[in-house]
Amino acid sequence: MSQQHEAVFDTNPNKDFLRSEYDYSHVERWFKKCGKRLNYIGLPAWKMLDIISWEKFLNRFTTIERKEDEQHLMFLQANVRDVEHRLYSLYGDFDEILRSGRDENGKSPQWPYEVVNLDYFGGFIYQDLARPRAIKKLVSNQGDHQHSFLFIITQHLRDADLKGAKAAFLDDFRGGLKSATVETATRNAIDRTMDWYSDPNNPDSARQTLYMNTFLRETGESEHFDVACRPGVLYSGTGNASMIHFVTDFTFRAGTAHKIYSKQSLLELVDLGTAEVKDGRITKSVAKAPRLSDV
Amino acid sequence: MTSPTSSNEELVYAPAVIILSSDLYPRKLEIVREYIQNASDAIDSFAAIADVLEDTSELQIKISIQGRSLLIFDNGIGMNEEDVSKLRRIAYSEKKAGEEAGYKGIGKLAGIAVADKLKISSTSYGDPKLHHFEFRAKDMREEISQKKKQGVIEHASDAIIRHTTLWSTDIDRAAHYTLVEVRGIAESCPELLDANRLREYIGDIAPVDFSPDFKWGARLSQHLRQNVPDYSPKTVYLSKQNGERIRIYKPYDDSMTISEPEYIEVHDKENLNKTLALCWYATKGQEILGQIRPAGWIFSVDGDSDDPRDKKRFAGLAYKLFGFSVGDRSLAVRTLWGQSGPRALWFTGEIHIIDKDVLPTTDRSDFIENEARERLYRAGERIPIKLNKLAQEISNNRNAYRDGERFSEKLQTWNERLKAGKIERSELKSIRDHLNRGLTTLQRRTDNCNDQDIKQYDKGIQQFATKFQKDLEQAKQFKGDNGIADVANELSMPTKARKVFTIIMQTLESHFSDDPDTYHELASKISKVLRNKY
Repeated sequence: MSQQHEAVFDTNPNKDFLRSEYDYSHVERWFKKCGKRLNYIGLPAWKMLDIISWEKFLNRFTTIERKEDEQHLMFLQANVRDVEHRLYSLYGDFDEILRSGRDENGKSPQWPYEVVNLDYFGGFIYQDLARPRAIKKLVSNQGDHQHSFLFIITQHLRDADLKGAKAAFLDDFRGGLKSATVETATRNAIDRTMDWYSDPNNPDSARQTLYMNTFLRETGESEHFDVACRPGVLYSGTGNASMIHFVTDFTFRAGTAHKIYSKQSLLELVDLGTAEVKDGRITKSVAKAPRLSDV
Repeated sequence: MTSPTSSNEELVYAPAVIILSSDLYPRKLEIVREYIQNASDAIDSFAAIADVLEDTSELQIKISIQGRSLLIFDNGIGMNEEDVSKLRRIAYSEKKAGEEAGYKGIGKLAGIAVADKLKISSTSYGDPKLHHFEFRAKDMREEISQKKKQGVIEHASDAIIRHTTLWSTDIDRAAHYTLVEVRGIAESCPELLDANRLREYIGDIAPVDFSPDFKWGARLSQHLRQNVPDYSPKTVYLSKQNGERIRIYKPYDDSMTISEPEYIEVHDKENLNKTLALCWYATKGQEILGQIRPAGWIFSVDGDSDDPRDKKRFAGLAYKLFGFSVGDRSLAVRTLWGQSGPRALWFTGEIHIIDKDVLPTTDRSDFIENEARERLYRAGERIPIKLNKLAQEISNNRNAYRDGERFSEKLQTWNERLKAGKIERSELKSIRDHLNRGLTTLQRRTDNCNDQDIKQYDKGIQQFATKFQKDLEQAKQFKGDNGIADVANELSMPTKARKVFTIIMQTLESHFSDDPDTYHELASKISKVLRNKY
């Protein structure tokens, strides 16, 4: 049974570092900001390593698990760790639960949440657009409750995922940036930067970071959230799989009629670039696009 | 006990497994009892070696609900690979009758009657493996039903092996626990997924301690620990849907207004040194004279429903064996009181059976018919004898207080009216009659009462009544003393009529000169009639 699942989701030193240092500091920051224990929803796998690591900052945790044996082990883990009363475990596919609002037992997530941690197996656009749609629905639900939250997402860095979509996205993104200015120097700088992003010789992690952060920003802004993105953090996961990890703040801004604009400018977002976990610390990636915000 | 030989197993056919598991638990909450019983035994077993292992972890049973799953976790001795593999055998157990709460070997599979699956994970101290067992009950039920239609009947063991899986994973050797997941519980059994129902049921039937919110709890617990050798309440937690985790206690608390509990030791009639059982009992209480005293009516509590039976659900005594209930509260009524049971319901409490030769039936609804049971029932006759007598005393005390209270209220009113000059002469006869009757009744009640406080209270009332009696005798002026003249004036009687009326009344007064109260009573009646007529 579960031996293979354990292998896939088993942790490694890089992931341990992210969870217990990088994410931990962000969860702690949100805990202090909210002044109370945080409600969590996520895909933690049965060991619930993130929940256990952040337990002192958390109130209740909603977990979503689609494998029966894994869910049983999660119940066991929760009991052994003495947190079973704070566990609210939904059974089914995350994307489908978000879409339908219910799990396979007819139970619903207990909206809203202050921490969302989606540790995905596979890329962001995996087989179809179910994941982006599910995230949009999640942000929309949070927006309905006018509730700010910390969003953490991890995914496989897969070239194939974004091949067509990414090229089209970069073209659209370049067009959008250029249409906002008439200055030749700025337009040239945009071209230089976007040429860098489009160059297949430059790392795909940079393209995926830009793509993911832009997606999160647009999704959040359309639901009245001020979105503060961070560099995508690249790391080598179990079995040397290339993983990329994002931590983003969604702060609800009430009183606006339509979509809002985040304090973080689009140019700042383009310049975020990527970071990397190596040897137990985070370093900025060497490969960087020409900066836009200095222009 | 069924021996673990394969020949015994072969006697069980597949449909019997389904029948066995479903018919055994007509009340579905009893399935929970089976798992708590196993967990309790596991905890007792581990507690016996915990010191040697220097393991100081708090031994506990935890119940939680997730989706349509009921989860029962304990950190007791756990099961090794061989133990887990034996789960495939129906009605097999190595537990010894009279030493542990469960011994029939069916309980571990109880969940298959109500759920799609039964998943058990367990490890024992020193075992590097966590053992998993899965019983796909729904699949098996469907397949057996299908085969039955086709006229195919196979051995239970074949069907069970096909619908169960065993496997192991690595685990820390120091770990020791068992998790039972009754997964995919049928919608026809909502009570198994209702935290409030589980809380009350477990509190009533499981070996848990008394609530700290029950003023007599600590004292009862101490007495039971000292006198019932196997009394070892377990720590049982229940997770509620709102994320709150509560410790489950016996259902008694101060909101039930319970009077001070007492005990009855049940000794073997043929060997008085041998204690067969210990009973504690208490009655519904009522605040009387600043103290909770036995109220003298059926033990009732607040209920969620309007059904009066719900309010009486803790009325009667519950048999306890290894801390677990045997039968419901009607069992003690039937076995000890027989036909004259109503007074049994005045009491709540437990009969802890110490004689371990008394054995429960498989479904724990009764005891197995054996010599030990007969010995217990014979010796247990003490309980109804004592409680019936006590009920009579409580009734007497209650009547002494109630009649005293009513008489006192009357006395207060008369006394106030007398002081205010508002007592009419015409009332005197009636008041005196009431006083005499009241004093006689109260004296009789006081004589039958054995509660010294109530006795004292009634005596105080009697003294007050005697004093009032004197005051009444000494009173000179009463309201309406000029009644004849008043009536004559009020009705504007002509001179002749007035004279005739006065003569009649004076004649009556003279006639009743030895009994003036009767005269005044009669005069008052005549006045009233005349006033109404004219």
